[in-house]
Amino acid sequence: MKNSRRYLLISLIVLGFMSCSDDDVPVANNVTLEFNNTFEDNTIVLGDATSSEATVHTSDAGQVHHFSELKYVISNIRLIKEDGTEIPYNVNDLDKGATVVDQSKEATLQYVLSDIPSDEYVQIKFGLGVKTELNNLDQASFPDFYAVAGANDTQMHWEWGTGYRFTKIEGFYDTDNKELSIHTGSTIEGEEGSYTQGVDAYRDITLDLPTNAIVGSGSPKIKIKADFDYLLSGNSYTITLVSTTDITNNATPSAHTATEMMKFVDNIGGNGDTDITGMFSITAVEN
Amino acid sequence: MKNLIRTVAFVLLLASCSNDDNLELVAFDNPEVSLNIPSDFPELNSAVYNNLPTQYGIELGEKLFFDNKLSADNTISCSTCHIQKNAFSDHNKKAIGIENRIGLRNVPPIQNMAFMQFYNWDGSKLKLEDQPLVPIITHEEMDSSILEVIGKIEDDEDYIELFYKAFGDEEITPDRIYNSIAQYEYTLISSNSKYDKVKRGEGETFTEEEAQGYAVFKEKCISCHSTELFTDQSFRNIGFPLNSNSEEAGRSRVTGDIKDYMSFRVPSLRNIEYTAPYGSFGQFATLKDLLDYLSNGVLEADNLDPILKDNDNRISLTDEEKNNLISFLKTLSDKEFIGQ
Ligand code: HEC
Ligand code: HEC
Repeated sequence: MKNSRRYLLISLIVLGFMSCSDDDVPVANNVTLEFNNTFEDNTIVLGDATSSEATVHTSDAGQVHHFSELKYVISNIRLIKEDGTEIPYNVNDLDKGATVVDQSKEATLQYVLSDIPSDEYVQIKFGLGVKTELNNLDQASFPDFYAVAGANDTQMHWEWGTGYRFTKIEGFYDTDNKELSIHTGSTIEGEEGSYTQGVDAYRDITLDLPTNAIVGSGSPKIKIKADFDYLLSGNSYTITLVSTTDITNNATPSAHTATEMMKFVDNIGGNGDTDITGMFSITAVEN
Repeated sequence: MKNLIRTVAFVLLLASCSNDDNLELVAFDNPEVSLNIPSDFPELNSAVYNNLPTQYGIELGEKLFFDNKLSADNTISCSTCHIQKNAFSDHNKKAIGIENRIGLRNVPPIQNMAFMQFYNWDGSKLKLEDQPLVPIITHEEMDSSILEVIGKIEDDEDYIELFYKAFGDEEITPDRIYNSIAQYEYTLISSNSKYDKVKRGEGETFTEEEAQGYAVFKEKCISCHSTELFTDQSFRNIGFPLNSNSEEAGRSRVTGDIKDYMSFRVPSLRNIEYTAPYGSFGQFATLKDLLDYLSNGVLEADNLDPILKDNDNRISLTDEEKNNLISFLKTLSDKEFIGQ
């Protein structure tokens, strides 16, 4: 009895394969998101204060700067079909649908979405950061993402806010290499529709694909550029960094006092209204 | 599997008691404990109604509060920093946690929390239940994680029994930990100081100095340190010396609003005698130092509270007024509360 059931199973599997074998497309396939973190067209190379290799960039306000650390969270990924249907990718499961892009870790620059239904996709949406409903460091529900984000060399837990850090950027600015340290995250409290206090640093990004991503027999790669020129010279603000805590002169502290955090958030993630791309763009879709 | 065996064992245990009717009742009964709400205290935080203290919830919360297992290396409990004889604060300028790491701010007392609408110096948390995770995970405090904590206590017979008694089954969840700690904290009500006894007409009277201090207080302090908690729970910048740590922005790190820069929740002054040093990072060793500073003049700031700004950036006080004020402030000491 046991054996006969096994045979049945095997024959079913074989049948299944046979039915596909004459060029039929699988029902689903992978889509790879590839992140290229740049200053304009140059891929960023990280480096410490005196590094000669680090990519140095000049802001609109004329400040040279480079980074030693560059991390951000991508979650809430959705692919949009030609007819407008959204295919959400584990949007309520941080373990399966969120990732920390870390410029110092090659492997994190590629994020593979598995089991995407075969179809043609014209647009991608994703979140920079974690949407408020999931942003509570719920280790019991999402132990894997909690561990990845909290690793000693990652430090994307925002402890006092009991949420995730959405971006963590460390580096140096001006010719004397003063330290810059820019962290973003949400402090918003209360339920959706009736928030009681705090700021929402989550940004929903929408990007049109220059050519359709065709999922089926192929598994396309979507190349996403994150241009950190926007950090100091974005659509919303032209920022001059200062090292003092005096924030009365309309300059922005170079360290994470959080007070002026939303300027950086709007620059790289868009203001959520007239700017829904922020620093992101699609450079190519490889089918 | 282990859980199953445990449950079966527990049921058997209960069954074995069931000959004795009284015991059975005790085993399943977890009565609500009504809070002793002092007259004239402000409204309860509405979160209390969703997490009403129960006998075993409180007991469990208290056990957790005093348990070093909440820290990564089993050296720090909540009570390491929140010490009863200091009205559940401590005597360091800034908090000292695991491996002697120094935190950002001064440890506030834990008292009358049920009546507060904002927690922490910057009001970052609005419900007490949301607060315990912060010290558990903070690198400078306990540097642990909630699953690590659960891993350490889930095989402990005392905890298994208490979770069962408090919540009706022995499952240990993060929320049950947070809720029981909050229930315990809700019971930490201080309202038996000399001030309270004078007010309630329980036979005590202010000395001459205390009475004069109270008069100064009503003139110069009560616009912020109001209500029976001696705080109006607003956020204000009163120009205290600044914390140079770049993490510090006061209330504005929560609101992102520059108008809240270096503003802090007006602290309660109950049990102030026991909670030195003072200020958000322990700027002042004594009450005298603090009053000298207020009287000599505070730091200028765009958002300096108008009460100071309109008065030459100071609250001027004579030496006599300072002494009398300090005498009055000491009438807010509640010996019963600090266990003496
Ligand atoms: C290393 C010292 C330290 C430890 C350990 C610690 N705390 Fe605290 N606690 C603090 C400090 C410092 C603050 C003020 C934090 C702030 O304002 O950002 C605080 C604030 C609080 C508050 C808010 C008080 C108020 O006036 O709003 C509560 C409640 C509290 N802690 C409870 C706990 C509990 C429960 C634990 C154990 C799970 C704990 N604390 C462990 C240092 C500590
Ligand atoms: C304009 C509002 C305001 C007035 C008026 C005011 N205070 Fe305060 N007080 C505050 C705030 C806000 C803090 C916390 C400030 C900080 O730490 O930066 C504070 C802190 C304190 C502290 C330290 C408490 C602690 O736990 O560290 C004491 C003591 C104190 N005030 C006493 C007084 C006395 C006495 C007076 C009257 C002479 C007074 N205050 C007047 C707003 C006020």
